[in-house]
Amino acid sequence: MIPALFYLQWQSFRNRLVTRFKRLKQPKYLFGAIVGGLYVYFYFFRYLFHQGYANGGRAAVKLSVSPEHLLLFELGGALALFLIVLLAWIIPRERAALTFTEAEVAFLFPAPITRRNLIHYKLVRSQLRIVFSALIFSLISRRFGGNFWVHALGWWLILSTLNLHFLGASFARTLMLDRGISNWLRRLLVLGLAAAMVASVWLWAKQTLPALNSADIANLDSILDYAQRLLTAGPALYLLYPFRLVVRPLLAPDTAALFSALPPVLLIFLLHYLWVIYSDVAFEEASVEASQKLATRIAAVRAGNWQAAGKKQKARRPWFKLSPTGPLPTALLWKNLLGIGQAFSPRLWIVLILVVVVAGFSLANGGHNQNLSSVAAVIIAFALSYSLLLGPQLLRLDFRRDLPQADVLKTFPMRGWQIALGEILAPVVVLMAFQWLLLLVGAGLIFCLPGKYEALALAIATGAAMLLPVLDFLLLLIPNAAVLLFPSWIQTGKDSSRGIEATGQRLIFALGQMLALLLALVPAAVAFIGVFFLLKFALGPAAAVPLASLAATVILAAESGLGVMLLGKLFERFDVSEEHTS
Amino acid sequence: MVQVEALTKLYGEFTAVSELSFSLQPGEVLGLVGPNGAGKTTTLRCLAGIIPPTRGSIRVAGCDIIHDAIGAKRQLAFFTDEPRLFDYLTVWQHLNFVARIYQVPDYEKIGRELLEELEIANKRDAMPGELSRGMKQKLAIACGLLHSPKVIYFDEPLTGLDPLGIRRMKDSILKRARGGAAIIISSHLLHLVEEICSRVLILKNGQKIADGTLVEITRKFSEQAGDTSLEEIFFRATSETGASVAPPVLPLERK
Repeated sequence: MIPALFYLQWQSFRNRLVTRFKRLKQPKYLFGAIVGGLYVYFYFFRYLFHQGYANGGRAAVKLSVSPEHLLLFELGGALALFLIVLLAWIIPRERAALTFTEAEVAFLFPAPITRRNLIHYKLVRSQLRIVFSALIFSLISRRFGGNFWVHALGWWLILSTLNLHFLGASFARTLMLDRGISNWLRRLLVLGLAAAMVASVWLWAKQTLPALNSADIANLDSILDYAQRLLTAGPALYLLYPFRLVVRPLLAPDTAALFSALPPVLLIFLLHYLWVIYSDVAFEEASVEASQKLATRIAAVRAGNWQAAGKKQKARRPWFKLSPTGPLPTALLWKNLLGIGQAFSPRLWIVLILVVVVAGFSLANGGHNQNLSSVAAVIIAFALSYSLLLGPQLLRLDFRRDLPQADVLKTFPMRGWQIALGEILAPVVVLMAFQWLLLLVGAGLIFCLPGKYEALALAIATGAAMLLPVLDFLLLLIPNAAVLLFPSWIQTGKDSSRGIEATGQRLIFALGQMLALLLALVPAAVAFIGVFFLLKFALGPAAAVPLASLAATVILAAESGLGVMLLGKLFERFDVSEEHTS
Repeated sequence: MVQVEALTKLYGEFTAVSELSFSLQPGEVLGLVGPNGAGKTTTLRCLAGIIPPTRGSIRVAGCDIIHDAIGAKRQLAFFTDEPRLFDYLTVWQHLNFVARIYQVPDYEKIGRELLEELEIANKRDAMPGELSRGMKQKLAIACGLLHSPKVIYFDEPLTGLDPLGIRRMKDSILKRARGGAAIIISSHLLHLVEEICSRVLILKNGQKIADGTLVEITRKFSEQAGDTSLEEIFFRATSETGASVAPPVLPLERK
């Protein structure tokens, strides 16, 4: 039976690879692969193949790892592993479930395959992911020095052992549940055990090490020195020892050290393997449920709804009452705001406003806190900039989510521009609300700053309040136009392609979007500068800024209006069938 | 109510539908049948204005689907085989949303009646994820019927319904037809077509090979009129030679 499972694994891998190569015939994948390949080469592989870096990394940045440092790295790694393992015993609450696809469940579960063989199949399949992750991690860690293949082997051992441990822990968890030990009781037991370990280390340190004083935490070196003394003797030495053994091959400075580090870790690996294989736990039922959940998640992602992919959808109260008659785009705004997720509920906004108002008042009243106010103002300026940069990318409550439902939208008796406007409004409204909230705080902080800037700062805030919504609109128009012009290039959810070519496609589009935005901003920037310098001398900068912003806003609004009309035309011409056949 | 003239849809060099013409009067129920890949769904999608035809004209309730798409779409409803719902709207929010799209002022009364009729009134606040396949289908139907369409297209309307649901669906289709709606049903379930359709249109490779009442089609494809089922006619009409190619029914293996 095992050969059949290997055959399935190998053929799936091979066919996936062949499909990837075949689709390079299409320019969109070919260009994506070229750009993605260049990116991967310059980011990772340059360090691997470049002559100067061939033996042990770039000399200039290579860390000179002393035995003390090596020990510290080993301790740090062991501590991290210990925490990961601890969490694996505390956080999960489900029964053991090996995640299979629905097809695997349908074919393998009714087939005469032993449970052990299913576990073997699962382990072999997880190796693909582990080997890939180990290579990527090695490409990164190798840049700090060391041999690439030693790193790859080290990472592979760590990830494989962790994988086995997670599986074994899930089996043990299920056995406990079967024997009446609830999740909370298990968590209490594990936390109690962890607390006992920490207490033993603390007691030992109290009795053996000199009392902790300010000199021990004066700088990083003294902290590390104290940590080393704490973790390399007494109970911590024994508690962390198995974890240190697992980390050791990764940090091996030479081949001899690697070979001496291998036997213990291989023994740990083998023990984990035996633990998993000889655990007699029924995982089938939970696996069927898990595979269904996985299928639902995949379906949700393919339908463009990433939020639904994460959790079960709950009924939400609409942001406003939708009357049955009135402007049609409002219906799409209403719908998309409902789909925004729990994170942006009206309750959250009320709490945010309250927090902002209280914080603003306390800052404004604390006259001595001018420095604090300046720092807060800088943070707000950064937050506003990031909301412009990242907001339109993160809030995909528009065509990027609804495109898989394009055939439904097409049946609506709405003009193209109405659909386009309705689709874009929701992210604009959310971003605008967030930005105006920040501006409100900023306006409050202005009163804490020295008086001579007050008028100008208020003028800038007013100008920003006018400009930001139209800028958001424009920034959202570009990816939405791109998704309708090149639907198969953009990740709308249904085409969640991965790999180098997808990375390249994203890079090409990021560049294209930036170019389009710059072109769109030029007329508004010219208008702003022109009006500002015209009025600056007559009315002063405090009056010139809002008026110049108004001029730029008008230009951007006109561009946005044209953009919506164009987007509407694009949607009307968007041939759902052609997209499906591509 | 529906006039189709020389409808042609090409995907590159592949012809999905070729020179298809037919018309449908109020109260008529047309069964659109044909083997897989015959062009049934493509035809319905063109008729609903979802995809543009490459050539030809389509008029729905007097409105050209290309030049007056809004007017045409206000009069029609299209039910796909797989109910397409927004998974973050409740049952009632779906009706609220559709009411605004189709501008139905008294949607609350109509919506309540539809939910009662379709027996999902108790699911008013449920999310699509909490509904069974059949209930989702019912919700999609409630949304489609909210604006009292004059033209209704069904693509495999019985998929996923239980026997009672099937009975109710048939009754509902006939009720709309009696109310004056023109209905097109695309289905592989020939007994459904035989039972509720007043006319049948057989497509093969995108071309119309038969169009008429059951009696007319039976006369055309059988040696002796009236002695043949739609299934038999279907096999004769869609086979290459025109002879009956119905696969033999295999006897059940007895142990």
